[in-house]
Amino acid sequence: MLSVQNVHTYYGKSHILHGVSIDVGPGEVVGLLGRNGVGKSTTLKTIMGLVRPSEGTITFEGRSVAGAAPYHLARLGIAYVPEDRRIFRLLTVLENLRTGLDRPGVPPERRDALLAKVYGSFPVLRERRNQAGGTLSGGEQQMLAIARAMMLEPKIILLDEPTEGLMPRMVAQIHEIIDVLHGDGVAILLVEQNVRLTLEVSSRVYFMEKGVVRHHAPAADLRRNDAVIHQYLGV
Amino acid sequence: MTRSAAGYWIGFAVVLALLVVAPLVLPEFWRRFVTEILIWGLLAMSLDLLIGYTGMVSFGHSAFFGLGMYGAAAALLTVRPPNLWLAILYGLVGAGAVAVFVAYFSTRLRDIYFAITTLVFSQIFYVIIFTWTEVTGGENGLGFSQPAFAIPGVVSARFTPVTLHWFVLAVVTVSYLGLRRITQSPFGMVLQSIRENEPRTRAIGYHVERYKIVAVMLSGLFAGLAGVLYALQNKFAAPDFVFFLVSGEVVVFNVMGGMGTLVGPVAGAAFFFLLRELFSRFFTEYYLIPVGIIFTLMVIFVPQGLLGFLRRRLNQ
Amino acid sequence: MTIPFDLLLIQVINGIVTGMILALVASGLTLIFGIMDVVNFAHGELFMLGAYLGSTVFLTTGNFWLALGAAVIGIGLLGAVIQTTTLRPLLGRDPLTTILATFGLSLVLQNYALWQYGPVPRKINEPITGHFSLFYLEYPWYRLLVAVLSAAIIGGLWLFMKYGKYGIWIRATTQDRVMAAAMGIPVPLVHTVVFAIGAAMAAASGVLFGPLTGVNHAMGLDFILRAFIVVVVGGMGNLGGSILAAIFISLLEAFASIWVSPAQAVIVSFVVLILALLFRPTGLFVPTPK
Repeated sequence: MLSVQNVHTYYGKSHILHGVSIDVGPGEVVGLLGRNGVGKSTTLKTIMGLVRPSEGTITFEGRSVAGAAPYHLARLGIAYVPEDRRIFRLLTVLENLRTGLDRPGVPPERRDALLAKVYGSFPVLRERRNQAGGTLSGGEQQMLAIARAMMLEPKIILLDEPTEGLMPRMVAQIHEIIDVLHGDGVAILLVEQNVRLTLEVSSRVYFMEKGVVRHHAPAADLRRNDAVIHQYLGV
Repeated sequence: MTRSAAGYWIGFAVVLALLVVAPLVLPEFWRRFVTEILIWGLLAMSLDLLIGYTGMVSFGHSAFFGLGMYGAAAALLTVRPPNLWLAILYGLVGAGAVAVFVAYFSTRLRDIYFAITTLVFSQIFYVIIFTWTEVTGGENGLGFSQPAFAIPGVVSARFTPVTLHWFVLAVVTVSYLGLRRITQSPFGMVLQSIRENEPRTRAIGYHVERYKIVAVMLSGLFAGLAGVLYALQNKFAAPDFVFFLVSGEVVVFNVMGGMGTLVGPVAGAAFFFLLRELFSRFFTEYYLIPVGIIFTLMVIFVPQGLLGFLRRRLNQ
Repeated sequence: MTIPFDLLLIQVINGIVTGMILALVASGLTLIFGIMDVVNFAHGELFMLGAYLGSTVFLTTGNFWLALGAAVIGIGLLGAVIQTTTLRPLLGRDPLTTILATFGLSLVLQNYALWQYGPVPRKINEPITGHFSLFYLEYPWYRLLVAVLSAAIIGGLWLFMKYGKYGIWIRATTQDRVMAAAMGIPVPLVHTVVFAIGAAMAAASGVLFGPLTGVNHAMGLDFILRAFIVVVVGGMGNLGGSILAAIFISLLEAFASIWVSPAQAVIVSFVVLILALLFRPTGLFVPTPK
């Protein structure tokens, strides 16, 4: 469904991605692991059109989307939850959700249903729905960032380090959310530092090092044999 | 001497020769035209030191220019007999005083805020000059006579249009060489480093504020000098030249000609005035419509300006 | 030296009236800056062209309100065209380039107005004439109307941004245009619409201001400088701050013109700017960032 082929990305003169290739099938949860600074976030940003690739192709559902505008990709069904969450701090929780909800072609009943569903998964957001986003705690902001992406009814969510800085209890909640999304048939490309979580939820995992994908294996194999993990993450 | 340096000096000599010969062969109108381009070119060069080399956008150079002009006027009207060198001195002092103010603000404000403040400065002076009629002649400005070129004990001769042109050319050429020397010196290198990455320059250990203050003072002094030359050539000083739009036009010269090249702004001034002449034939006084359009298009499509491609070669 | 109370009162009200018009102009400017980091040098010209367009419509129809409507729509469209052709290609470049581009535009528009409408000032007649009694003075109704209308327009804008359907899009794009785009908000379109709104507000101010001093091609220059000062003092991007700053500065100027000529009173606003920049560079009315 999403196919990234031989993508090169530069930040100014720095060559960050040296030919990255990644595939995500419909409904799959795929992990992307690697040390800090290898280009995992840049890969997601390139897919989402926040950075233009200088070379390579990105196709989504058969269409070429490399270099397309982010708002176009969002409308096509790719949602992005960035590493620093980046919720709209001065908008209320509800308004944050509405940025994704207020799309053309969504009848009021479906809107209400989506909202109810997300409030069901994240009761705390319902409580704080009229509070400004900036007043939420770190964990709550992460929930909001994911919930906001869900409002787009995406086919795939690009999740960048959702558990960073979260307490174990919230990490478990993230795990649940990913399961719920997977159950709904939403594909996920998960960039993470938390190896255990990644192995638990993903069906396949890619390993990146210095701007390239070095290794690629089914999660089941990795759970049995973690030598590869030590090699690429030094954990 | 390296090949590119030789090429540069040959080019320089050729242009200089052309400018020396110009007043002898051109009709009156075009002779004045060339002289004025030199004067505006000097003003534009002074701005380039700030915009092109230090990365500080100033919309207030008309204040320096105006104070140089009125400073010269003050000398020529109050001191008898009118003395050329005193006029220059007064003009530089006037411009220098304003430069001190602007320099102070340059260290505390960045980017847009600095640009807007310089704009406001030129307007402050405009309003003061415009309304303080007893001293500045208000709306009508001040008229005065041209001093003679006098070196005590050596020579004293009234200027002819040709010799005045040569005097202006000499001043502008020396100023250009001086500015070139400054921009290529270690001081100039630090300025460029500030333009490229101010936080890093500061982190390396340079006292960025001091460099900015000196840059503003130098820029202001050369701009004031241009104002003095203008007063000498035209024998009047008027508030119109202090209006902020004039500052804007100087920025236009710099951008069109190519920032960071010193000669670019002069070319930009020449280009602007030539366009004005050309379009005035067709559009009378509305020449700024097509010129403005050309300028805006250049900002979008040719931001490096006419001579921008020479930037690296000129700054070796 | 005692100042007669009636003179003081008149100046206070005059200050508020001018302040409201200035606030209307500055709101558009700060809105545009807040959302796309563009310092719109041509804003004064949009104000001026709005007044001219209004005067033309007024000349043919004799109706003030039609003139106002036509100016708002006409200049709003002009704003949209300007943004799409000139500013959109510059998105992401150095902010200096947008100042220069809008400066170039202001030169073009200014001279266009001179060419099209000639140097003779135009007139727009106020829709309500007559004075009302304020204590023992006579004060023109129209000036009061101007203040009320300006407040209404600004209030309308604020309501739209807070509760309107697309208000969320505008506010989200202002806060984080990258994430707004990632949420499916058509950011380029939002930019164009906001610029058009800013232009329309400037045009409305021009028409409102027209009956007070006549319509001439230099009226934009005067206002743009004050508007910049207001926006900087109030905090760039801060709508509430701009409004407060506009009224504050206009009141100061109104007081100053008791003693000096209006041309010189403008120095007051310059001094306020300089003081503000010395002590509170982010804006006088911006809450201290945590």
